[in-house]
Amino acid sequence: MSGGIPTIAEAARLIASKRLSPVELTRACLDRVRKLDPELHAFVRVTEERALGDARAAEAEITTNGPKGPLHGIPIGLKDIVDTKGIPTTCQSKLLQDNIPDIDATCAERLAAAGTVLIGKTTTHEFADGGPSFDLPAPPARNPWNTEHFTAGSSSGTGAGVAAGLILGGIGTDTGGSIRGPAALCGIAGIKPTYGLVSRAGVAPAAYTLDHIGPMAWTAEDCALMLQALAGPDPRDPASASRPIPNYTAELGSGINGIRIGVIHHFHETDNKVSDGTQRGITAAIGTFRDLGAEIREVQLSPLQDWLACGSLISITERAAAYEEWARTRLGDFSERVRSRLMLSAFVSGVDYVQAARRRRELRAELQAVMKGLDVVLTATQPAEAAKIDAVPKWDLFASPSFTMPFNVAGYPAISVCAGFGEGGLPVAIQLVGKPFREPTLFRIADAFEKVTPFRERRPTIVAV
Amino acid sequence: MPEINDQALEFLLARAGLHLTAEQKAEMLSVYDGIAQMAERVRKPRGHMAEPALVYDFTEEDLT
Repeated sequence: MSGGIPTIAEAARLIASKRLSPVELTRACLDRVRKLDPELHAFVRVTEERALGDARAAEAEITTNGPKGPLHGIPIGLKDIVDTKGIPTTCQSKLLQDNIPDIDATCAERLAAAGTVLIGKTTTHEFADGGPSFDLPAPPARNPWNTEHFTAGSSSGTGAGVAAGLILGGIGTDTGGSIRGPAALCGIAGIKPTYGLVSRAGVAPAAYTLDHIGPMAWTAEDCALMLQALAGPDPRDPASASRPIPNYTAELGSGINGIRIGVIHHFHETDNKVSDGTQRGITAAIGTFRDLGAEIREVQLSPLQDWLACGSLISITERAAAYEEWARTRLGDFSERVRSRLMLSAFVSGVDYVQAARRRRELRAELQAVMKGLDVVLTATQPAEAAKIDAVPKWDLFASPSFTMPFNVAGYPAISVCAGFGEGGLPVAIQLVGKPFREPTLFRIADAFEKVTPFRERRPTIVAV
Repeated sequence: MPEINDQALEFLLARAGLHLTAEQKAEMLSVYDGIAQMAERVRKPRGHMAEPALVYDFTEEDLT
C-alpha cells in the first residue's frame, strides 16, 4: 500500500476478509477528490450519490454472499467519452454538454456488473483528441507529481485520478497512445489491449480502426484484474474479437526466466531520442529483466516516422469522417486544437488514406516477423518526463514521432509501466508490446518488473499533503 | 511533394465543406508540408496486387 492507498488487488483481499468496507473505501476516495480535485481537475463530473449507492449495494451483497470478484466494491472512474446511462457524457465538448445517454457503453456495463463503484467521469481531451486545451467547458487535468505539468492525454483525468488515489482504476481509450501516454507521465500502469479484445460500443470514436479501450491502474496486476471484467466478444462492436478469454492473472508470479525481449533501440535512441532520464530508466529496466533471467535481443523495425505517417493519415481521415457533419456546420464549437486537426483532413485524399492502409498491412507484417522467436518487444512510452502544461506544442503531431502509435497501427497489445523518475522528479516509463491476445504474458513481465523495483512504493507528494 | 497555394487550398476546403477564417487558412498552409511528407512516406513501389489492411483479423501465424 503506497501513500495509504491500496491497489485494487490489496483492496479486494481486504474487502473479501471483511477488513475493509467498500463504503469506507469509497468515502476515502471521495474525500481525496474533494481535497485534491480542485487543483488536479481529474474529473469533469463527480457522481457522489451514485458512488455511495454503488458502495452500499456492494457492501450489502458482500455481507450476504461474499464478493462476486476482485472488483466488487472498487472505486473507479470512466473517461468522459464513455457513455453512462442517465449521467451526462460530454466528451469534454461544447457540442455535447446536454448529452445524457440512454444506455451504458459496454465497458461501463461490464465494470458495473463486476461490482465497481463509479466515482465519476474523468477528464479527457475533447473527443479524445488534441491536447491540453483551455477553451473547453472544463479545464485540462494536471499532473499530480507536479501540477504545473501535463498528464499527457487523452485519458488525462484517469491517469491523474489513479496516481493521486482518487480512484483505484479507470477506463482509458487509446487511438495513438492515449492510455499509455498518461500512464507513463502519471507514473501508473496502463494497457492498450489487442484490437477487438475490449468492446468500443458506446465510446465516442476517435479513429475507428485505431481505437482501443483499456484499463489504467496503479499496477499491472490491477490492470489484469480489470481486463478480466472488460474483455470478451460484444455484438454491439463490429470489430469485436471472438476468442476465448484467458485468466489474465494466471501467469503472475511465475517469473520471467527465459522470456525473450526484443529491444527496439533505434526507436528511442535515434528515431526520437529520449531524455537522459528516460534512457536511464530504459537501460536500468533492461538490466532488471536480464537479472530476472530474460533473454535480451536487439530488433529493428521501420523508423518511427513511417509508423506515425501511416497512423496519422488514417487517424486524421477517420476522425474527420466521424465528425464531418459537425465540422461542416459547427466548426467553431470545437476547441482550437481539435478544430485544427479536423481541418487537416482537407489535405488527405482518398488515395492517401488507402496508401496508408496498404502501408499498415506491410508494417504489421514487419512486426509479426520481428516477433517470431520473441515474447515481447520493448521501447519508450514517452520521450521524457511531463512537459509544463502550457508548453505542449499545438502541432506536436509533427514535432515528435510517437512511440505508441506503431502498436495502434499494428493492433498489438502494449502496456506502459513506471520505470523510475527523471531529473525533474516526474515519472518515466517503459512500454512492453506483446503478441496479439497474449496479454497474460505482458502482465507477467510487467508485474515481475514492478515487484522487484521500488517505483510502486512512491505516490505523488500531493497525496500526503 | 506537391505544392499548395491559396487557390488549391480554397478548392480543398470547399470540397471538405469547411469554412475557415483567413487566419486559420494561413495556419493550414503553414502545416501542409507535414501532411504532404506523411503522404509521401506511405507510398512505395508495391505493385497493384498489394492490398490494404481492410479486413482486420489476426491469423494463426500472428499468434505463434
